[in-house]
Amino acid sequence: MAEDTFLADDLLRQLMSVGEVDLLVGISSHGNAIAVSQAVHAIEQSFQQEFIRQRVVIVHVDGGDNDGDGAAAAGLSALAEKDVRLPGRASLRTVHRVKADFSSPPSPGIALHTILAAADLLRARACAVISTATSNLTPGGIANLLRPVYQGKFDFVAPLYTRHKYQGLLARNLLYPMSRAVFGCGIRELYSDEWGFSGRLAALCLNQNVWHEEAIRARPEAWMAISAISSEFRCCQAFLGQKSQSTKGSGTDIVEALRQTVGNLFWCLECRQSWWLDCDKSEPVPTIGPDHELTSEPSDLNRHRIFEMFRSGVTELEPILSSILDPETHAEIKSIASLEEQTFRFRSDLWVRTLYDFAASYHHAVINRDHLVQALAPLYRGMTYSFLVAHSDSSPDEMEAESEMLCVEFERQKPYLRERWKANVEVKS
Amino acid sequence: MALQKDNLWYKDAVIYQLHVRTFCDSNADGIGDFAGLTQRLDYLRELGITAIWLLPFYPSPLRDDGYDISDYTAVHPSYGSLEDFKTFLTAAHTRGIRIIIDMVLNHTSDQHPWFQEARSSRENPKRHWYVWSDTDTGYQGVRIIFLDTETSNWAWDNISKSYYWHRFFSHQPDLNFDNPGVLEALWEVMEFWLNLGVDGLRLDAVPYLVEREGTSCENLPETHAIIHDLRKRLDLLYPGRMLLAEANQSPADVRAYFGNGDEFHAAFHFPLMPRMFMAVKLEDRKPIMEVLEQTPEIPDTCQWCIFLRNHDELTLEMVTDIERSYMYDEYAMDKTMRINRGIRRRLAPMMGNDRRQIELLNGLLMSMPGTPIVYYGDEIGMGDNIYLGDRNGVRTPMQWNGGTNAGFSMADPERLYSPVISNAVYGYQAINVDSQRRSEHSLLRWMKSLIQVRNASQVFSRGSIHFLNPSNHRALAYMRQFGEETVLVVNNLSSSAQAVELDVQRYRGYIPIEMFGRNLFPRFGERPYLLTLGPYQFYWFRLRRI
Repeated sequence: MAEDTFLADDLLRQLMSVGEVDLLVGISSHGNAIAVSQAVHAIEQSFQQEFIRQRVVIVHVDGGDNDGDGAAAAGLSALAEKDVRLPGRASLRTVHRVKADFSSPPSPGIALHTILAAADLLRARACAVISTATSNLTPGGIANLLRPVYQGKFDFVAPLYTRHKYQGLLARNLLYPMSRAVFGCGIRELYSDEWGFSGRLAALCLNQNVWHEEAIRARPEAWMAISAISSEFRCCQAFLGQKSQSTKGSGTDIVEALRQTVGNLFWCLECRQSWWLDCDKSEPVPTIGPDHELTSEPSDLNRHRIFEMFRSGVTELEPILSSILDPETHAEIKSIASLEEQTFRFRSDLWVRTLYDFAASYHHAVINRDHLVQALAPLYRGMTYSFLVAHSDSSPDEMEAESEMLCVEFERQKPYLRERWKANVEVKS
Repeated sequence: MALQKDNLWYKDAVIYQLHVRTFCDSNADGIGDFAGLTQRLDYLRELGITAIWLLPFYPSPLRDDGYDISDYTAVHPSYGSLEDFKTFLTAAHTRGIRIIIDMVLNHTSDQHPWFQEARSSRENPKRHWYVWSDTDTGYQGVRIIFLDTETSNWAWDNISKSYYWHRFFSHQPDLNFDNPGVLEALWEVMEFWLNLGVDGLRLDAVPYLVEREGTSCENLPETHAIIHDLRKRLDLLYPGRMLLAEANQSPADVRAYFGNGDEFHAAFHFPLMPRMFMAVKLEDRKPIMEVLEQTPEIPDTCQWCIFLRNHDELTLEMVTDIERSYMYDEYAMDKTMRINRGIRRRLAPMMGNDRRQIELLNGLLMSMPGTPIVYYGDEIGMGDNIYLGDRNGVRTPMQWNGGTNAGFSMADPERLYSPVISNAVYGYQAINVDSQRRSEHSLLRWMKSLIQVRNASQVFSRGSIHFLNPSNHRALAYMRQFGEETVLVVNNLSSSAQAVELDVQRYRGYIPIEMFGRNLFPRFGERPYLLTLGPYQFYWFRLRRI
């Protein structure tokens, strides 16, 4: 391999053979041949149905066989040699397949870095990243990610899914409203497994000196979206239907989820502070397909246990919380933690202030940033409990109205975030 | 140069297709004729072609460019006499050029005496030489070929008050091959021309000879039986003569017309042609590879005939709806360029007059398996006139020089059977034989050298083909092999420079010698062989082991 490059010679040779393309879809995997097979088939069908004339390539970044599916992976390679042929419809051109092999599972950041490099070298016009963790992604869904970009209207396409009303609460109550308030662009699924982007956004991101950062290696997608927003690129959302996770890769606990998403979002705030501190806009994001779709089947969530974890966390983490939160905020948190379960409610204004305190403290690094993000877990549980109680009988529309009110509250309090962000803070050792 | 005795001559031929009317007018009546064509035979010999396929030159009302024949055993008076034809035939043979004539078995003109008799009364002995019905409901579902002009395969005859069957224009009634008299009469016609010395018969519209209820009325076993019968008679009485099938069908269906080497000697490969154009526009070898993968093996004595353009529209019958739509968008955006299910344009205008693309396509034509057919005028890059109606835009006078009527005729321009092309790009002042003869780097000179290289070996005409499948899909690479001779062909289908790695492990140690300049290239080694090609460039390498 040549020095000072992460691109293997073999990958470069494959890219040379592909040449310029119109569309590129990247998938990242570590083994799991069955999931890869499903993803490749969905992509090929999307090309066959929706992009018959275009020059297309699938870039598969693979981290080796760590799940004993080697035989299945070999079968996939053989299968991939032949195009999927649909009756009456078929790509006029070759559907190219490129594989980048890593000896160990590549982090999402390294996988995306490889895909962006391929997109840039192949001068792809529209790209998408697809996850092997989403087991039911349809050819139409993939086309929905690519088409807005290919038609030249947008540079970034975030997905939207049909969700159960209790699914995706972290996005609904924290990531979406906070990112919307801070960055002025309401992307609902900032942290997602699949998204679309333009070649020019790929080039912009590829040339940023961030790829060594742990936050990017772990979760690069929000940074990419925020890069698009802060560079005044055009963003939209596209409806992909039901979100169904395959068994592998799902089920992360809430602390880990917070580290990967909220910690990442705080890091993005840090990265882009020069932009959002002066940004007062809040613009709706064009949406292709339904804006939201909720289902409300019965759920077996243990609300009592969630509440108890909130209350005990507030007590156990008091010293840490006191270093993170504004005293007034901390006092209110302790106050509501002393309420009986039946009367407990986490007000939205308090929730917003709490998060802004956390974000500012992250910025000022008042304590170890990883510990700081973990300390949010009990408070998030309290908010979740409050939400579940308040919306046990709510209709999807009622929930949506509530969600909008929360967004407005985040926007209303944005000056508070600015104030705390810019304040001189004495860092406690 | 006399004709070489070789019964498989059609396998090694380079065929030049022309219409007598379009080539050269000797008597200043504005219409090309056999005397004029005879005068131009030396030009064709210099070009290097070895056979001429003549479009129909029989007496005809000319409502379908001569495919509506009213007398099978004479020459249309506009083109000269039978004696003129014989003189032409002898002159061609003297120059080593074989002659293939067009023969329409499926139908006649409605002006043919046979049809005139048949329609005169229901009791006439010729009545059942055609297909009649009291209703127009028979053979329901059979496709209509000329969709732009015909609404039914049945036409009403007001004289005999009944319907007659026609697969093409309504003025071309189909002959009834269920009547043994028809086959015998047509065999007599064929014998007439074979006795004069013609070398091959191109049989038009072969799949449609026989009709059967409940079928597509195409490619029926009874049709094959008729062809088999004709071939048997030909082999017995006229060995060394050739039958060429016009069957615009899928390769699998056309394969049946070769039989076990006992039906046609050769047949057009219709589906390959549009896919060559498609591959160049898509910059991807996939369309060519797919159609060749679907092409079955044929008996050793048989041959495909391949072509880029001809006197008809560039037919898109044998492509999918999606492919047709793509071809229209890329090559016929102006709807005037479209007719039936095809594109009525010549090669050079279709390629935007891009010399590199024209050369690449001719390179493919000359190096792919099959006997190549060059359409008159394409060797100099003639243009077309899409405003002439029907397919007349690709049938304009041959452009010999920049003088009066392009050197085609001394008649007043108003008298010409068709106006000459006179626009600034393709007009005869710019594009003509004389000027290209004088220019060392003209398309004509280049075509001569291409044909010369092809004719120097039988590897292209008789050799096997093996595709190399380099990972770069913009490159189409194949080995042609015949006996001890091996040739590597590498084509860059794209508009940009390409690097191609070829797996030539099997030929390790061979030295590639570029066939046009005869230059040596680096020897094949252990590693994949790296070649770089400019836009639309192609290489032919003869492989030698020394």
